[in-house]
Amino acid sequence: MVGVFRIITHIFFLYALLLIGNFLQEVFHLFIPGSVIGMLLLFLLLKMGIIKIKWMEEGTSLLLRHLTLFFIPVTIGFMEYLELFKGKGIFLLLITVISTALVMGVGGAVSEQLAHGKETQHE
Amino acid sequence: MNEIAIGIIAITVTIIIYSLILPIHKKVQSPLTLPIVAVSAIMILALLLFDIPYETYMIGGQWIEFLMGPAVVALALPLYRHYDMLKKYMKPIFAGVTIGAFVGVTTGLFMAKALGFERELILALLPKSVTTPVAISIGETLEGPLSLTAVFVVIAGVSGAIISPVIFKLFKLERPIGRGIGMGSASHAIGTATSMDRDALEGSISSIAMILSAIIVSILAPLCALLFL
Repeated sequence: MVGVFRIITHIFFLYALLLIGNFLQEVFHLFIPGSVIGMLLLFLLLKMGIIKIKWMEEGTSLLLRHLTLFFIPVTIGFMEYLELFKGKGIFLLLITVISTALVMGVGGAVSEQLAHGKETQHE
Repeated sequence: MNEIAIGIIAITVTIIIYSLILPIHKKVQSPLTLPIVAVSAIMILALLLFDIPYETYMIGGQWIEFLMGPAVVALALPLYRHYDMLKKYMKPIFAGVTIGAFVGVTTGLFMAKALGFERELILALLPKSVTTPVAISIGETLEGPLSLTAVFVVIAGVSGAIISPVIFKLFKLERPIGRGIGMGSASHAIGTATSMDRDALEGSISSIAMILSAIIVSILAPLCALLFL
């Protein structure tokens, strides 16, 4: 029971950072999502040692372990778009796959080339 | 039936199916048994079969979705833990992810524009390379259709996991750095999970790429929408 309470506290802590992120986004009219601002904030707080990992580890690890679960409801919304992928919409599917292949190939190749070049320099 | 009962049933059924799929995926390791794919497909079939509208499901579903925001904040933890690796490969990681993010947003945008798709559909396509909760936040900023945004994210994730062996050969990605950056930049959490199964280092780099890409795309997507749409 104490464990459950701790996890809920951790999640509330993350939620508080999300609210701060959303608040900062609105006040400064940022186009970065509030959740990403909250994430960067938490990263900085960890980095500066203001927040210790153990203060929020259990709840955070739980959320990370089940990350995909939270996307499921919004993915189920696909059922409202089944019509779209009939006919011309199938091209949207193709575009997504082609674009994904290009991101993976080009992004990966750039990193590997640069990292490889760096290694040979040092060797 | 009152709303609370409907909500509890929706949450319970989703979590039960999810917990049944998890061990199956551990055993089978196919992109089709990925929880995001299998659970969503089963739920959609069930809802269509019993003629239950999405809106009704979301009475409960919204409570699961509620945790997406905190879950994105939670990504700070792996970022913090992998900070040393991030620092060591700072330049190649930044360059690869940035170019990957740019390729993802622009190729999607211009291909869809060339084929004459309407603005709303293109907006949903822009954040497809980043993890769903961030894509949804970006979608909110873009004022695009959120469910459809999530659908493209899933397609990018699943298709990336499936085609990755071919892409690795085609682009000669032989090291964990190139493979991890490719997977995380193109296929976010689904790619990271797939990488993690293959190689721990590839998986860690993929998670860094996923987080970085989320940040870069959340800046790039609205910018490109502003410039080209």
